[in-house]
Amino acid sequence: MAARVETAAAPARRRLLPYFALHEWLVFLTVAFLVLMALVGPALAPSGIYRSNILNALAPPSAEHWFGTDDQGRDVLWRVVAGAQISLLSSILIVVLYSLIGVAVATAATLGPRWLDEVIMRGTDIGLALPGLVVALGFAAALGPSIQSGIIAMALTGWPMTARLLRTTMRQTMEQPFVDGARALGVSPARLMLTHVLPNSLDVLIVKWAGDINNTLLILASLSFIGVGAQPPSPEWGAMISAGRSTMSTAWWAVAAPGAAVAVTAIAFGFLGDILQARRDPSLRKR
Amino acid sequence: MVDTPFANAPLVPATNDAAPLLDVRGLSVSFGHGPAAVRLVDNVSFAVGAGERVALVGESGSGKSVTAQALMRLNPHMQVSGVVQIGGCNLVALSDKEMTAERGASIGMVFQDPMSSLDPLMTIGDQVAETLRLRGVSAAAARARALRVLDELRVDRAAERLAAYPHEFSGGMRQRVVIAMALIGEPKVLIADEPTTALDVRVQERVLDLLYSVSKERGLAVLLITHDMGIVAGFADRVMVMYAGRIIEQNDVEPLFASPRHPYTQGLLGAIPRIDQKREQLQSIPGAPPTPFTRPPGCHFNPRCAMAMEICRKDYPAMIETGSARVACHIHGGGHA
Repeated sequence: MAARVETAAAPARRRLLPYFALHEWLVFLTVAFLVLMALVGPALAPSGIYRSNILNALAPPSAEHWFGTDDQGRDVLWRVVAGAQISLLSSILIVVLYSLIGVAVATAATLGPRWLDEVIMRGTDIGLALPGLVVALGFAAALGPSIQSGIIAMALTGWPMTARLLRTTMRQTMEQPFVDGARALGVSPARLMLTHVLPNSLDVLIVKWAGDINNTLLILASLSFIGVGAQPPSPEWGAMISAGRSTMSTAWWAVAAPGAAVAVTAIAFGFLGDILQARRDPSLRKR
Repeated sequence: MVDTPFANAPLVPATNDAAPLLDVRGLSVSFGHGPAAVRLVDNVSFAVGAGERVALVGESGSGKSVTAQALMRLNPHMQVSGVVQIGGCNLVALSDKEMTAERGASIGMVFQDPMSSLDPLMTIGDQVAETLRLRGVSAAAARARALRVLDELRVDRAAERLAAYPHEFSGGMRQRVVIAMALIGEPKVLIADEPTTALDVRVQERVLDLLYSVSKERGLAVLLITHDMGIVAGFADRVMVMYAGRIIEQNDVEPLFASPRHPYTQGLLGAIPRIDQKREQLQSIPGAPPTPFTRPPGCHFNPRCAMAMEICRKDYPAMIETGSARVACHIHGGGHA
């Protein structure tokens, strides 16, 4: 994700580091930290986080357990760190997967004949009319309860909004004079899509992606809570919040730590979307 | 005027005597199917020779831009019939794929609004080079050629501005970039659809000067589409006047301005305001041009024509050729089309 940021924002003239404001660096660092946590967290975490130790249950924050322990006596902070992998990487993976489906569907609808556009768009209408969580639940239940089936289910049900948004924007972009200009230069339809229409239509999605990662994080947590997503003792953030709910009045830390992780992730990715959008427009780039 | 000649040799000698580069015969364009079909361009024929600049003038809705789009086959919903011959190749008969290959290579186009005819997310260098890259030229070679064309079109500091984006350019500079994009594939025919309408007068003049010298030096056939008679007088060798989807008169530029033959052309020239003229003396043509749905029978101009005769309401006049002039009007004799 961090690498993406650099490429998307690279200014036309070469310089060692692209120009970013302080708050932009803060957002990048937070996102990079989260991604790093997701990559190496489980490897660093002590093995104790998967075993219950009832004697030490619901211990308040201390020098040994910075965010206390949960109802099974496991270190909350290390579970949050280790849980980043399941929560964050799964969410990013889901958004990437269904965005790819959405882009393919929208491109087919824009390029294809009118009847194909109609068929595809009525299909997305149906997809949008069905409650996503319930359909994902059905898929996940059919595939057997596991984090993998949660990912597959959400990738297969998440694309209609992306497809619809992108198809509308692509239609608008197709009306731009520079598209006719490119065609007048002999650009083939496929290349026209890839080099002119798609790049000029993606803005709408970049903003959506950041919000999508948050939503996905929460839906994934819901699936885990219901029992078709991450299975215990997996330290998935949503599952941790659900588990900690019952003891929240006496042990706030068991909910606060994963809750804060979700909040920080949501805010960081939200800002990241804003920054990426501003950076993509060359006329808004600072030189 | 450009004082540096184009680095590439002209593709064809710049003479008017050679066989026309662009030969359009019986071009008709319609939209829609069956009874709802509407014919926007009706049986238009003309030719443009190498190094010749021909202007196609007419009011909005006369079909001049539709003609340009039909030549490029840009609109897939248009039904185009007739013959558009460029160098022994009939564009109308080509498959979509073959037509894509011809665009930019044998026929190029410059659009009206330079502000929106460049991709805002792509650098100038990449956009100018794109036509060459499509044809398998290496990135470095395409870049070098792009630089040369931009230099020839007098884009200042072209080398450092290859990496710049369209928003960093002024309107006149953008239009030069657009022209460079159209010319880099070395087409034989260039269609310029109101290339200077969006520019101010001084920039307009410079852009037209550039187009003029390019056409001279490269032997490029230019079809200029405009409604500005002032531009026509300074730029074109020959003028074609379009009304309600048909060409009603064409002539070399001096005789057309000196002695227009068709009553519509006379009205059009009479409607140009002049600084030494009182406003009351400005003529206007009564009525409005017909829409493609309401074209009257006979000559389409007859309801607005002061000299309309009985035959004008019944038969469309045939094109009569006298000297350099060709005119479709019953006043000048001839039968019906």
